[in-house]
Amino acid sequence: MKTMHKRLSATALGVCLGLGAASSAQAANWLMLQGTEKADNAPRAKVWGFIQPEYQQDFSDAHAGDTYIPPKLIGPGLDDQSAFNIKRARIGVRGTGFPLDGKVNYFLLAEFGNNAITNGGRYGDYHPALTDASVTLNYIPGARIRAGLFKTPGSEEALQGIIALPYINYTSVTNQLLLERFPDDGDSNIGPQTTPGADMNGFSKSAGAYRDTGIEVFDSFDVGKWEHSYAAMLGNGNGVQMLDDDSNKDVYLYWSSAYLFDGKAGGPWRSTMKLFGWYQDGQRTNAYDKTQEQDRTRYGIGAFYLKRPFRVSAEYMKGKGMIFQGQHMPQKMFNDYKAEGGYIEGAYFIPNTPFELQLRYDTYERNVDQPSKATFDTWTAGVQYHFNKKTRATLNYAVRDFSSDAAGPNSHLEGVDDRVALQLTAVF
Amino acid sequence: MKHAPAPGKMLRRALLAPVILAALLIGGVAQANEPATPVDQVVKQKPFADARVVLQISDPNPFKQTLVLNVAHNLLKFYGPDRVDIEVVAFGPGLRLLFKDNAQAGRIAVLADQGVRFSACKNTITNMGKKLGHEPALNPNARIVPAGIVRLIQLNQAGYFVAKP
Repeated sequence: MKTMHKRLSATALGVCLGLGAASSAQAANWLMLQGTEKADNAPRAKVWGFIQPEYQQDFSDAHAGDTYIPPKLIGPGLDDQSAFNIKRARIGVRGTGFPLDGKVNYFLLAEFGNNAITNGGRYGDYHPALTDASVTLNYIPGARIRAGLFKTPGSEEALQGIIALPYINYTSVTNQLLLERFPDDGDSNIGPQTTPGADMNGFSKSAGAYRDTGIEVFDSFDVGKWEHSYAAMLGNGNGVQMLDDDSNKDVYLYWSSAYLFDGKAGGPWRSTMKLFGWYQDGQRTNAYDKTQEQDRTRYGIGAFYLKRPFRVSAEYMKGKGMIFQGQHMPQKMFNDYKAEGGYIEGAYFIPNTPFELQLRYDTYERNVDQPSKATFDTWTAGVQYHFNKKTRATLNYAVRDFSSDAAGPNSHLEGVDDRVALQLTAVF
Repeated sequence: MKHAPAPGKMLRRALLAPVILAALLIGGVAQANEPATPVDQVVKQKPFADARVVLQISDPNPFKQTLVLNVAHNLLKFYGPDRVDIEVVAFGPGLRLLFKDNAQAGRIAVLADQGVRFSACKNTITNMGKKLGHEPALNPNARIVPAGIVRLIQLNQAGYFVAKP
């Protein structure tokens, strides 16, 4: 009887999700924006992309002996303390290949900029990479299916598109806990170096770019002014590498509920208040000892509010296993340590001007419960000048306070100081 | 006297039901759209109209879908729903505007409520049906005309201003 009741409840829930609630309009959220096109309203092929030239300067002090560690140097090459760079230069095409059937769409994007995806560091070369290549089937109400390489459902900071990414550098927690690095057995740890030419990027393979290759079931549902979204994905757990390097698969789960102040979808800038939670779990094969496998778990919750002139967002996340120990420490990636952190940030769009003022606080505790525990606290003040909806200039000034319980690392981290960054973003 | 169905038959029915439901959900239920009102009659529906406009959409560019609906909206705003007679004629690649699941369906419904007519070309429907394997399901507000281009000519001959935004 109980089983029957459960079955009926499940059926009722399915009917409510699939039929009772209206399927969400496109442009409802990042899942929908990146995974779907407007029904019967998409071109066969829309060429698009973005370019981000930037300049960054770090004011950290050298350690005794004039040596530096990665947080004091400008990535991705980690050669020196100031640099112009083309951080991102992506071009792609998206649309619906057979416009008469709007239930199939695709998304293709390649990266030519110089960043953790393309920069092979000391042991590799510059290598442009495909970051997205996916096909979405929209035939089943309530269960769109996306297959290929694409952003995994998860943290808002990681999932959101570059068009809306408000700061130049990711928070420490997102950069270290979620932007996965994949060591190769030819990568070795690099000790503190002198500048110029420190060359401290020890990872020759592309960083994960918050992406994976796999298959995802997802959709959004409008219920009055509320929009509920879900996603469940199975992937290789191997970033943008496309092919799996082991038989382990990662599981990704995501849920969000958003209140739409205007009662309708409206792209990245819609007025909304969103709550979300996510979970990721997988295993990694040790690149240096193929007989060893390491669990990797990440999960988090967050909130996002945008109603001009204000934006406020916050996330808190935790992780266990495969805790990043620095861009110069590939051989220390395979660990079972814990880490946690979060951020809160806000923005004020000065009415009737193109200016946006921003302030963000982020904190990250690495190797929790270990003697090597390290803490990364950063305040970032920013201002954005929006030339138009697709072009902006961003100026960030970060005040950083890094430390470690271990004396050796702490002697390096205590010298980490402020950083200034200026970036131009042009989306086309 | 009726016999209770055999357990095997019940099982088959139980299994078949969700399959049929899924097929209906995936394929959708074909719903026939009515033919459009002949031109000599539509003229009489708004005898006091100050302007009569027919908007052509035959372009594959999705932006044109938005543009056509914007133009219809602006005409209504300028003249008022009782003082303007608007018909949107869709044919060729532009017929996608009148597909049942089109993202603009909400706007079409609002405009239809204010008296805007939407005509879908039968020739295009037939040709698209050959490519798709079935005729496309249309917006319930769409009415069928034998040929979109002929409908434009007829409306023009009846005094309608033909515009292709």
